[in-house]
Amino acid sequence: MKCNTIYRSWVALGALGLLLQTVDGREPFTAAELADQEAALLKVVDHGRDLWHGSNPSMSTNGLACGNCHPDAAASNPHTFPKFQADLGKVIALRDMINWCITVPQGGKPLDANGDDMIAMEAYAFYLNRGARIAPGFATEQTSPVVVKSGVGYPKKGSGVGYDK
Amino acid sequence: MEDFRKLSRRDFVTISGRAGLTTLVASAMGLNLGVVQVVKAAMSGKVMPFRFAILTDAHLFSEQDHKFDGFLADAVDSVNGMNPRPDFVVYCGDIAQNGRDDQLQKGIKILSKLSMPVHYIPGEHDWYLDMGAAWRGHFGSPTWSFDHKGVHFIGMNSILVRDFWTAAGMSPKERMGTMEMLESPIAGPWGVREEQLEWLKKDVKNLSPDTSVVIFTHSPLWDYYPRWNFQTEDAPEVREILSKFSRVMAFHGHVHQTVYNRIGNLSSVGTISTSWPWPYPDVKLAFPEMRMNRSDPGNFKDGEGAQHIDLESDANAVMHYDPFGDMLTPTMKNGFRV
Repeated sequence: MKCNTIYRSWVALGALGLLLQTVDGREPFTAAELADQEAALLKVVDHGRDLWHGSNPSMSTNGLACGNCHPDAAASNPHTFPKFQADLGKVIALRDMINWCITVPQGGKPLDANGDDMIAMEAYAFYLNRGARIAPGFATEQTSPVVVKSGVGYPKKGSGVGYDK
Repeated sequence: MEDFRKLSRRDFVTISGRAGLTTLVASAMGLNLGVVQVVKAAMSGKVMPFRFAILTDAHLFSEQDHKFDGFLADAVDSVNGMNPRPDFVVYCGDIAQNGRDDQLQKGIKILSKLSMPVHYIPGEHDWYLDMGAAWRGHFGSPTWSFDHKGVHFIGMNSILVRDFWTAAGMSPKERMGTMEMLESPIAGPWGVREEQLEWLKKDVKNLSPDTSVVIFTHSPLWDYYPRWNFQTEDAPEVREILSKFSRVMAFHGHVHQTVYNRIGNLSSVGTISTSWPWPYPDVKLAFPEMRMNRSDPGNFKDGEGAQHIDLESDANAVMHYDPFGDMLTPTMKNGFRV
C-alpha cells in the first residue's frame, strides 16, 4: 500500500512537470528577435554616449562632461563596482560613482538613480568595457576600454558613434 | 587586513609601487644607461647648458573663475619659481576649450605673468571654430624655428585634418564641437601636411647632422593610439626629414599624461596638462615605467602640472615632470634622460 502511494506521487509530479514545461517553456529567440533586442540595447547605449558627452546641460555647471576624463568610457571601470569609494567612505555602485562625478568634478545635478538616463549611462560604460573581467573591489590600475578601430581614416568602417562590433 | 582596509588609494598605490621597486629601478637603469650611451656617441658638445619649460593643454572655458584658470595660474607660478630659471617656455597647444577668442585672451592674460619669453603652437581646441584666425592673430605663424645656445628648436601645427565639414554643411560651431570630442571618428587623422613638410625640409637643409634638434607638436610624432589622435598621420615623413640628425628630441601636448617612446634617432616625450589627465589607452608601451600613477578623481589637480627640461653641456637632456601632486613613478621622480 505504501509503495503504491509513492508510485502515484511520482506519476503526479511527472505530470505536473510536463504541464509546467508546456506553460513556461519557450522556443529560443529567433534571429529577428535577437536583432530587435540588440537594436534596443544599442539605442540606449547611443543615448548614454550622448549624455556622456554633454547632451544634458543639467549634468554640468563648468562645461565638463564625463568624456573629458573618460574617452570611450576609459578608466570608468564599471566592472570593478561595487567598491569602496574613498571620498564617500563607503562601498558604492557604479550609478553612485556616476552621480558623484556629475555633482563633484562637473558641479552638475545628479541623475535619478533609477531613471532611464542613468540606465543609458551605465549601458554606455559597460558596453565600452564589454569582455572585461568582473572584479568588484579596489581598482588601483587604470583599466582600458575596448579598442575601437572604426570610422573615417581607420582600418575598419564602424558605426561612427564610438563603438564597433 | 584591517589596517590594509584603512589605506587610502594613494597609500595603496605607493605600497604597490614599493613591491615592484626592484623591477622599476632595474628598468630605469636600463633605460637611462641605454639613452646615455646613445647620446654621448651622438653629441658634438656645442650646447651651452640651459633650461626650458613646457606648459600645455589648459583647456580654458569662458566661465569666469573656472577652476582651470587657477590651475594654469598655479603652473605659471611654478615655472616662475624654478631655479635655475628657464630661458623660455613653449606652450604646446589647447589654450582654449571651444576655440573662442575670449578663451584665448584669458590664457594670454594668465600666461603674461611668465617672466620669460613664450613660444606657442596650436591645438585642435584653439583652431577649428575659426580655422585658426584668432590664434594666428595673437601668436602669428604656428610654424617656426629658432636657435638657442647651440640647439635648433622647431614648432609645427600637427592638428590639420581634411575638410569634413563643407560637404556635411556644418557650422563653425558644429565643426568645433566635432573636434572637441577626443574619440570622434568623424574628423579623421591629424597631420602637419605638405606645406609644412616642405617648410621643414628647407628649415633643416643647411643644418649639420650633429646639431641638436628639438621639435614641438601638439600630437605625438608616432602612432600611439590613432583612435584618440594620439598620432600624427604624416609623422613618418617628419621623422624621415629629421633622420639626418644624430638625435632629435620631440615634445608633444594633447595626451595629458606622461609617456615616452623612441623611434630611430627620435625620442618622444608626452607632457602633462593643467586641466585633466587622459587615461592610458590599451596600447603596449615600449617604456611602461613612464606611465604616471592613476589620478585621484577627488583631487582635481592630481595628474596635472608643468614640466621642464635641462639641456646639459654635452647636450644630454633631462626631463622633469613638475606635477601639482604626487603622481610620478620612481623612474620619473628625479628626472630622466630623454
